[in-house]
Amino acid sequence: MDVFYTSPWVPPEWIAAHGFQPRGVWSSPALDLRAAPLAEGVCAFAAGVLRLVEARPAAGFVLTTHCDQLRRGFDALDDATGNSTFLFNLPATWQTPTARRLYQAELRRLGRFLVRLGGAAPDRSRLQPICQAYEQARCRLRAAAGTCSGRRLTELSAHYHWTGEAKSGSEPEPETGAVPLALVGGPLPPSLWGLLELIEAAGGRLVLDGTEAGERSLLPQVRLHPPGEPENQPTSTGAPRPPDTEDGVEILANAYFDALTAVFQRPNTRLYQWLRARVAARQVRGIILWHYVGCDLWRAEAQSLREALGLPVLLLEADETDGHSLRHAGRIAAFIECLR
Amino acid sequence: MTPPRKLSLEQWDERWRELHRGGLVEPAYGGPLSRHVAEEGDLRLRHLAFDPSPAALRLWNFLLTENQRLRQFRAGGGRLVGVMKDLGTVPVMAFALPAVRAFYPDGAWWTPCLMECGDGLFQHADRLGIDASFCPVRAMLGAFETGGHFPRPDLLVCSAGAVCDDFSAIAQRLETLGYAIAWWEMPRRRNPDEGEPACTLPGGLQAPQSQVEGVRDELERIGNLLGGLAGCPLTDTLLTEGVRRANQVRRLLQTLRNRVYGSPGAPLPALEMLVAEMLAIHFCSDREETARVLAGLLAETDRRCREHQWVLSPEAVRVFWVNPVADLRAMNLLEDWGGRVCGADFMITHALELIPEDLPPCEALARTALADPMVGSTRDRADRIIAQCRQFAAEAVIVSRIPGASHCAREGEIIRQRVRQELGLPVLEWEVPSLVDPLLPTLGSRLQALLETARLRRRR
Repeated sequence: MDVFYTSPWVPPEWIAAHGFQPRGVWSSPALDLRAAPLAEGVCAFAAGVLRLVEARPAAGFVLTTHCDQLRRGFDALDDATGNSTFLFNLPATWQTPTARRLYQAELRRLGRFLVRLGGAAPDRSRLQPICQAYEQARCRLRAAAGTCSGRRLTELSAHYHWTGEAKSGSEPEPETGAVPLALVGGPLPPSLWGLLELIEAAGGRLVLDGTEAGERSLLPQVRLHPPGEPENQPTSTGAPRPPDTEDGVEILANAYFDALTAVFQRPNTRLYQWLRARVAARQVRGIILWHYVGCDLWRAEAQSLREALGLPVLLLEADETDGHSLRHAGRIAAFIECLR
Repeated sequence: MTPPRKLSLEQWDERWRELHRGGLVEPAYGGPLSRHVAEEGDLRLRHLAFDPSPAALRLWNFLLTENQRLRQFRAGGGRLVGVMKDLGTVPVMAFALPAVRAFYPDGAWWTPCLMECGDGLFQHADRLGIDASFCPVRAMLGAFETGGHFPRPDLLVCSAGAVCDDFSAIAQRLETLGYAIAWWEMPRRRNPDEGEPACTLPGGLQAPQSQVEGVRDELERIGNLLGGLAGCPLTDTLLTEGVRRANQVRRLLQTLRNRVYGSPGAPLPALEMLVAEMLAIHFCSDREETARVLAGLLAETDRRCREHQWVLSPEAVRVFWVNPVADLRAMNLLEDWGGRVCGADFMITHALELIPEDLPPCEALARTALADPMVGSTRDRADRIIAQCRQFAAEAVIVSRIPGASHCAREGEIIRQRVRQELGLPVLEWEVPSLVDPLLPTLGSRLQALLETARLRRRR
């Protein structure tokens, strides 16, 4: 059975360990991003997720609270979907024990939901190899991020979030003189990858995919040792990890919580640290900020990105096309021309 | 006896002179309302209609002198806390401390309305990258940067998590601009799972005990920061007394709401009720005076109820109002076209509930914070609206949309469906910008259609 999740900060290995196939919802070919025939301001991505929930009654869905539209979209779901949907409370803050405990508690609560959905609660011996497989996949993709094109990494990340597996990267691309660009913003489903083609056609080269489910989503490093072996990995802040637990869920939760790097966090300094390092290392010359209509979280960052990274930022709103819109093409071409 | 009639600003000045000739004694912040136009540039007052009572005069003067009050308090050595988003919780803690006062910079969202956009705050926000696609609360950014409205707070506190994205994004932008913020986590309230330890919140909703404990821990952390600012720890004793005093205000407001919304005719207009309810969230920077202002309104209401003196005809359509309006004039318009407000959810219903006094104070505040209608399911909010519609015999519901507010994209439809299903009442979604004037023809016809539909239902 498929269990879809709406944020890469929900550990897919936890879903898989309960016997389900985790599916990053943004990777779904069935995600329909037409604008909702509702009042103005509804995010096409959130509306698409709700349509998918209604269209796939046999699947499970883990929605997340990281944005208002998805949070309230959950409230709008029909009662009939109540047994197969779950709202995961992703904490916005990250510097306090309270936020960490909230994340841990939500992961445990998700586990209980998955059991109600028909899954089996995993013991350590089941969780460990699954975590290891996912970690290996992320590890391969993290390594690929340093060599393959941003476009290729986008495809690889999407495949990972759909299957849990890492396909091979590609050989480093030869230098072509194309303008190195970063793409940051909301989720970019395959149906909108036409945008990537527009960037390439206009003489740009994507060297950093900072969209929601892009390279950042590969950050969690889960080291769940086999039963009986000590857990001695310190946290990213150097603090000792909490003591071993019966099922490893706390370690998994801490790994994700410590890696969480997202626009909705308060403060969102982690996102900027992450971007700053990569923008410099990959010699990015311009940023394309991709966002859905109604997505305040990303839209509000345009000027902060300009100020923090000292680079020009092109704001692109998702429309109802597959990313190939003439309007987008013209704007991207002009942007890249200015950067040459 | 002639029923009270609403007054224009000019008429109020004449009435003010008349009252003074009759011996009216006002507090220090009193005076004719028109001086706020001349001195503060509050041009919108020229287009509002006001209740004619001295109690309403006091209410308006109290509201419109808040920035002066804050500056005087600062000049006297007091410490100011800018509280953002939680709408009613952290100010109770701040006011429990000596020489500390809290205010909501969020309140600047009404400044462009009051000044008819002559303040330039929206243009300032535009320049800072927060354009008109965001809620009018973006005016807050401009107010911080210009420093011409409220003083810069000594401490800024903001809840994060289950809050509006637009506000969260604007607050983040504020921090990026160099205003340090103490963030605290507000989880999305959920129903307790089967067998999960739970507790009852003010208002009757249930929440998992674990969520209450999480919020309590966060509030204790904020309490420590406030204590540091005051140079005096926020002890349970101080906080208990703070809760008791906040409840005095809340009791007054509850009584006022029940009297006004429950009476056959309207003893107070909707606009004054909106302002009165807003006093609950941070006491307009003076808790004790808030109680006196509300007591005055309540006394006036009681007198009018005894004498059947209504500011609006008892025939007016009883409308339940959802969300605050960016333009205060919208409340007048409803009444001009034949409606009256008989209940409201201005997104602050948790600030109107009594804070439990039989619990440790931080636990009590955590429960109250979790009762916020905006942090839980919109269905919970709709259920509360339905209960209040029943209580106050509403004949129609208006969900006023806030331009650019992320919660407005979905909530209207959810509330509409629930209200229609449970009560069969007509529901209108109505977007109210900071100045409604250019939209009056459209808004008027939409409102009239709603009110006519409600009147037709009376005949069935």
